[in-house]
Amino acid sequence: MGSLRNTLVTLCAMLCLLPAAVAFAQDATPTTPTTATMDRSINVRPKPTGVTPRTPDGHPDLTGLWNGAGGDLGSLPNQMHNDGIAIESQTSSHDVYSGARIATWPVTDRKPIDDTEGERAATLLRRVGSNKPIYRPKYWEMVKELDANANEEDPSNNCMPAGIPRGGPPTYIGQFPSYFIFIYPGEGGLIATQTMYRMIPADGRKHTPLADLDGTYTGEGIAHWEGDTLVVDTWGFNTSTWFDQLGGDFHSENMHVVERFHRDGNELTWTATVDDPDVLLQPWTTTPRIELLNPNPKAILQEVLPCSERELAHAVTKDHH
Amino acid sequence: MLKKANTMRLSLIAVVMVFAFETAQAQTNNGTAGNTPDVSKTVRSVAEALGMARRTNRAGAARLPFIDVINRMEIWGSGTSSDGSRTGLKTEYHVALSYNPPAVRLETTRTSQDGGAAPQHTIQTVRDSYAWNESQPGAGLEPGWGTATPAMAAAKQRLLQLWILPYGVVKAAIAAGDKTKLSTENGVAVITYPLSGPLTGVTVKATLDQKNFVTKVETQGDNPALVVEADYSDYADHGEALSGVQSPGHILQKQGGHPVLDIQIKNWDGANPYLVFPVPENVKKSAAQEPGKAATTKGL
Repeated sequence: MGSLRNTLVTLCAMLCLLPAAVAFAQDATPTTPTTATMDRSINVRPKPTGVTPRTPDGHPDLTGLWNGAGGDLGSLPNQMHNDGIAIESQTSSHDVYSGARIATWPVTDRKPIDDTEGERAATLLRRVGSNKPIYRPKYWEMVKELDANANEEDPSNNCMPAGIPRGGPPTYIGQFPSYFIFIYPGEGGLIATQTMYRMIPADGRKHTPLADLDGTYTGEGIAHWEGDTLVVDTWGFNTSTWFDQLGGDFHSENMHVVERFHRDGNELTWTATVDDPDVLLQPWTTTPRIELLNPNPKAILQEVLPCSERELAHAVTKDHH
Repeated sequence: MLKKANTMRLSLIAVVMVFAFETAQAQTNNGTAGNTPDVSKTVRSVAEALGMARRTNRAGAARLPFIDVINRMEIWGSGTSSDGSRTGLKTEYHVALSYNPPAVRLETTRTSQDGGAAPQHTIQTVRDSYAWNESQPGAGLEPGWGTATPAMAAAKQRLLQLWILPYGVVKAAIAAGDKTKLSTENGVAVITYPLSGPLTGVTVKATLDQKNFVTKVETQGDNPALVVEADYSDYADHGEALSGVQSPGHILQKQGGHPVLDIQIKNWDGANPYLVFPVPENVKKSAAQEPGKAATTKGL
C-alpha cells in the first residue's frame, strides 16, 4: 500500500514536472543560438559558427546555398527580422533600426489561430518596424495608396520578378575569379514571384552610362571588393518593381542600388542602400538581413514549381495576402 | 524502510521544485518591466482587447511570443472642436501618428456652424520634441513644397495626444514599470502611471470597461495645457481593410470640463501605414537656437 502511495506521489511529481520541462524548453532559449539549436520562438541574429573560407585570391568565398535559416518569404520569423523586429525571448523584443523596446508577451497556449487572423496579424507584424524610406512629400500619399491597394498594384503580382533589392540576398551564390552568379528561386503559393538570376562581373569594368541602358528588373550590377566586403553596385532598372518587400516602395528608372555582402563563418549579412533622388529625399538602407549557410554540404538548389498565381483573382477585399 | 523514506523525500523535493519553478515561471510570464503580476495581466488584457498583442500561426512561427504590433496609425473623423477662442466649430479631423519615433501630424479644417467665415485649416506636427506647423504635409522639406513654422512651445501638448490614446495607455503603462498601479473604482479597473521624458510630471489615469477597452483617460500635472480628459466609446475595427485592431468610434476630449474635441470616426487605419515625420532643417535650426526646447523623448 505504502509502495503504491509512493509510486503515485512520484508519478504526480513527474506529471507536474512535465509542463515545467516544456515551458523551460520554450522559454530558456539562449539569445545567441547556433544554427543547430536555432529556435523559432525567437528571431535574433544567431551566433556565427565555423571559419570563413577564402578563395585562392584571398577574398572570402561566398559560394554556397544561403538558405539555412529558411530565409524564404514564408518564414515569418525571418521576415519580421528583415523588417526590423528582433525577438530576443518570450518577454523581450526591440526595433532593430531605432533600438526601441517593443512590448512582448509570452505565448500562453498553442491554440491555432485561423488563416484570416494569421494574415491580419502578419500584415501588422511585417509593417511595425521603424526603418522606412523617406520619400519626397508629394509621393507620401502615393506610397500609402500603393501599399493599401497592393492586391491590385504590387508589380510582383502575377509571377513577375521581385527585382532588386526587393528580392533580398540571393539563395545561391556562385563565386568565380571575375564574376558572380546569384540565383533567387521563385516562390509559389503565399507570395508568388518569378525565379531571378544575375551574372555580375567583378573584373574592374565600369558601368555603362545610364542613358545607354534599357531598364531591366535586375539592372546592370558590377561587383568589387572593399576589404572583405563584396559590394555590388547596380543601376539601369526598369520601373516595374518595388524596392522593399512591403510598403508600395516604387522607384524611378534612375534608382541606384549598392548591396553589401559580408561573410562571417556560416553567416552572410546583406544590406542594400537605395539612392533615388527623383523620389526619395535621402538614400535609404535596408535593415541588415542575415542568411545562414545550408548546413548540409551536399544540399542542392531544388527546382521550384512554376509560378502560377491563383489567389489574386479571388481577392475581394484589401486584406493583404 | 530507508528506500521508502528516500523515495518520499525525492518526491517531496520534486513537488517543491515544480511549485517553485512554476511560480517563478508565472512571475516571468506575467511580469513585464517590473510590473506586478496583476498590473501586467490587466495591461496585457487591454493590449489583447485592442488587437495590439498579436502572434501568428504561420509555419515556423507558432512559438513566437505576442508582440505589440501598433506603431503607425491614421485616423479620419468629423465633429466639432474648439480653436482656443471659439467652441463648437464644425471640424474635419485627420491624424497621422507614430509611436516609434513619437510623432503626430494633426490636420484640422474648422468652419463655424453657420458656415459664415472661411474654413480654418491647420496642420500641427510634432516629432520627438520638435514641433512645427505645416502649410501642407511635409512642408519645409524641399524647396517649393510649402512652409514649416517652428512651434517648439507646443511640443509637449502635441506629444501628449499619443499617450492618451488607448494604445498609448498600454505602451506608457508598460514603460512606467513598477510605477504603474492598478485599482478598482466603482467596480471597474483603473490603471494609473506617470509619463516620462518631456512629459515628466504628468500622471495618467485610465479607466477600463468590462471588455478591457479604455473608456476614459484623465491626466494630471502642474501645466494646465497638459491636463485633459478623453472619453472613448463605440470600439470596433474601423479600418477600411480589416486588421483586427479595435479602435474607438467616438472621441470626446475636454479641458477644464469643457469639450474641446468631439469626433465621430470615419476610418481608423491601424495597420502601420506609410507615415513619416522628417523634421525640416529650419525647425532643427530654430530648436538649436532655443536651448532646452528640443529635449529628448527617451523614456517614453
